Amino acid sequence: MDSQHIRNFAIIAHIDHGKSTLADRLLELTGSLTAREMQAQVLDSMDLERERGITIKAHAVRMAYIGRDGETYQLNLIDTPGHVDFSYEVSRSLAACEGALLIVDASQGVEAQTLANSYLAINHGLEIIPVINKIDLPSADVARTKEMIEGAVGLDASDALLISAKTGEGVPDVLEAIVKRIHPPKGDPDQPLRALLFDSWFDPYRGVIVLVRVFEGTMRKGQKIRFWWNNRVFDVEALGVLTPKPVEIGELRAGEVGFLIANIKNVADTKIGDTIVDDANPAIEPLPGFEDIKPMVFAGLYTVDAHEHTQLREALDKLRLNDSSFFFEPESSVALGFGFRCGFLGLLHMEIIQERLEREFNLELITTAPGVRYQITKTDGEKIEVDNPSRWPDPSEINKIDEPVILATILTNEEYVGGILALVEEKRGKQKSFEYVTSNRVMLQYELPLNEIVLDFYDRLKSVSRGYASLDYHLAGHWESPMVKLDILVAGEPVDALSIIVHRDFAYERGKALVSKMRELIPRQMFEVPIQASIGAKIIARETVHAIRKNVLAKCYGGDISRKRKLLEKQKEGKKRMKRIGRVDIPQEAFLAVLKVGEGQ
Amino acid sequence: MPLGLYISVPFCRTKCSYCNFASDVFSRAVFEKYVTAICAEVEQAGETAGQMGGLLEHKVDSIYFGGGTPTLLDVAQLERAFVTIRQNFAVTAASEITVECAPGTLSVPVIEGLQRCGVNRVSLGVQSFNDQESASVGRLHKRSTIIDDVARLRSAGISNINIDLIAGLPHQTRDSWQASLNQLITLEVPHASIYMLEVDDDSRLGRELIAGGQKFHAHFVPDEDLIADMYEIACERLNTAGIEQYEISNFARAGCESKHNLKYWTQQPYLGFGVDAHSMLRSRDGRAVRFSNPDSLEKYLAGSAKERTRVSAESAVQEAFFLGLRLNRGIDIQKLLSEFGQNAVSYYMESICELETAGLLKKDGGTIRLTSRGRMLSNEVFERFISVDSAV
Repeated sequence: MDSQHIRNFAIIAHIDHGKSTLADRLLELTGSLTAREMQAQVLDSMDLERERGITIKAHAVRMAYIGRDGETYQLNLIDTPGHVDFSYEVSRSLAACEGALLIVDASQGVEAQTLANSYLAINHGLEIIPVINKIDLPSADVARTKEMIEGAVGLDASDALLISAKTGEGVPDVLEAIVKRIHPPKGDPDQPLRALLFDSWFDPYRGVIVLVRVFEGTMRKGQKIRFWWNNRVFDVEALGVLTPKPVEIGELRAGEVGFLIANIKNVADTKIGDTIVDDANPAIEPLPGFEDIKPMVFAGLYTVDAHEHTQLREALDKLRLNDSSFFFEPESSVALGFGFRCGFLGLLHMEIIQERLEREFNLELITTAPGVRYQITKTDGEKIEVDNPSRWPDPSEINKIDEPVILATILTNEEYVGGILALVEEKRGKQKSFEYVTSNRVMLQYELPLNEIVLDFYDRLKSVSRGYASLDYHLAGHWESPMVKLDILVAGEPVDALSIIVHRDFAYERGKALVSKMRELIPRQMFEVPIQASIGAKIIARETVHAIRKNVLAKCYGGDISRKRKLLEKQKEGKKRMKRIGRVDIPQEAFLAVLKVGEGQ
Repeated sequence: MPLGLYISVPFCRTKCSYCNFASDVFSRAVFEKYVTAICAEVEQAGETAGQMGGLLEHKVDSIYFGGGTPTLLDVAQLERAFVTIRQNFAVTAASEITVECAPGTLSVPVIEGLQRCGVNRVSLGVQSFNDQESASVGRLHKRSTIIDDVARLRSAGISNINIDLIAGLPHQTRDSWQASLNQLITLEVPHASIYMLEVDDDSRLGRELIAGGQKFHAHFVPDEDLIADMYEIACERLNTAGIEQYEISNFARAGCESKHNLKYWTQQPYLGFGVDAHSMLRSRDGRAVRFSNPDSLEKYLAGSAKERTRVSAESAVQEAFFLGLRLNRGIDIQKLLSEFGQNAVSYYMESICELETAGLLKKDGGTIRLTSRGRMLSNEVFERFISVDSAV
């Protein structure tokens, strides 16, 4: 198809604002799916995505639309992940489009997530069509929603489309607006090939499946292609489009979107944002915007049952097949045995991986406190990066520590600003801006250490705002901070899995909270167990678990020996499930408690 | 070796808040049916033993009616049970015949009835001499009731009396505990059982202790350390008064130790009748054979099958340890070696040494026994003689 009849667009929306429902309606209207084929919300395919109401992997669906001018158009809907952890992937998906629908719930208004992605789209020069959804709800306030779109996003909302994706009202106008208002793609099909890789996943039968947007040239079946940043060469085995059922085609021309299969075994070879060129006739330069994304949040993953270690490795291998953004390497802990140090794009990404491991692979996991990667300059001038407390250098060897900082954008209602300001101040935030986007809607921008976000920031933000605050962030560099390693000692033995890196000013508070939590969780043992928090050799907090005084079964119910035996077995079984550090049995919950002890409590 | 017989009577006037035992409050109409079932079971004892593969000794030297509250049965019903027992077993003249009684159920006619049955020992479920404490767990008697009961038993000639006390009842204090002990000592009974409150998680008090609440006085249960103190105080006071500890929770004047309960700890054969009653017999090759009755009245009366527990060679050694060590006299290693062989016993030697180092066990010539600290932590000790996967 000539590129004049192609429209590539994405949908930007906050969770639950109706992205998937609208996508389904569009598919239905263009006849891409019959009603029977339409399982609710086809775009979100993974169970987890469906449950959380978010899309984790991007997809691209081609639809044929006959416009009111009688012409047939090829519409490519490129779905984008909806969460802050995946902002790079979002940016690549947006880069594959010329326009975007900005969906805003008429009763909820603009949220931080929408805002961040809208800015991203504006920066990529996308044409944005504001779509106000859920106008059928009694609480819908179209005028206010328009005001917010103009105030917060800075878009003209006078010609925003008013729809109800649920009832279908106004949806045909959306299709027409896509054709009328979004530019057709530019690009010459006869130039050397340049295609943007914006998504990939592993298929057990076909190997890695890659989603591409061709910017220049034409990609053909049988062609030898090269991945620019990866510098690997593959033969194109198959090309196709998703309608959303996969349909194979012979070529993808400049402006088109589709999938590519090239006998690629490893999803790590298909870096998102990479440029695919013709191996025989390579383009001179790649498409802009490639970044080698790195994990930002790190944690140790261990199995509760040490025997499941091999299963954990296999599960991680399998997950990584489909998710090259997550990283792991073996680590061992005195307290927890053999496990893996894992890196994630963010907290949600971590939660998703954890949940998939537990749900799909039936593993019971212990996760150590999530942390970030510090840049440490040692006294001898050497620069190292440390994301694992167990590799933290001795304080005497540290000259300077730089910690990763994010720029957080928080959108909330006026009444919650006080609580949120107190929270971000407590979390060592630095204000960058404070703005009323409408008369009672406030946008805050803060620089915050990522370290403070990974612990309990989401939960705290949710509670101080009663859920009426949305957050978006992206990495904004590093700043120097006096971080220290806080160790927890149980009966004099450091428990490596409980060590955390904290800001010096918080160490005392955190140490106190941790040891008191540990005292509650560690059962009384046969001897007195001191629990201490220390920085280096200096003890900063101490609690004591007093020796157990009694553990007796007295009554003999008419010679019932089996009852006694069962109770003893249960007791012994319970201890087996604990982790033994030195002479002390520590229950699993103690390791989880570290995650739950925030400073503000 | 003569048998011990245990008869379970799962009836109570009220159910104590900490109790999760099979006992409960039932209508009197059930009693008659129950006694009939017990008698039938006694008559079939030989057959049962055969089915279970155990040898049945005809001679009996202890009978124990436990509960529940056996004295809730009519005297005639108790007599019927005793007559049936004597018809089917040879009860020796020197037998210890115990009936557990709730204070307040021992009227003169009841005591006379018990005597006609040959009962020569009474165990009183006192738990506390403090009326508030008793009431808080749902017991109906007062301190004066107990004193009257003891006097009446004595004047009828039953002086072999046991009194149960529980350390750790709601509202109990160090002082009130001392007062209960004083009262027990003043009564000059020859036997006492001191328990620390054990609350079943699914008893009413247990649930309240977990979930919080005040209805069953969970809020007023003394803390663990205070309960431990109370128990230690009891050991000291009773020993001084000449009622010496011979088992973790049992104390007696010399010669008044309970014959029946000793059978449990020393793995002598016993046969149980009634709801949730347990039995242990020896098979022809000397191995222990354990079996038990259904644990609900309904199932028992419906004639549900007994459950047999195989005691593997490994379990038998373990039982010898964790039952025998309950006794203050401890266990005779030499005896154990000759019974179970070198290999089976030496497997536990490392644990024994560790426990000795930890001050929980004491080796004394050929005997090992719990130290007083070991008694308080006996489950920690016994756990070492259990292997989780040996349960069959």
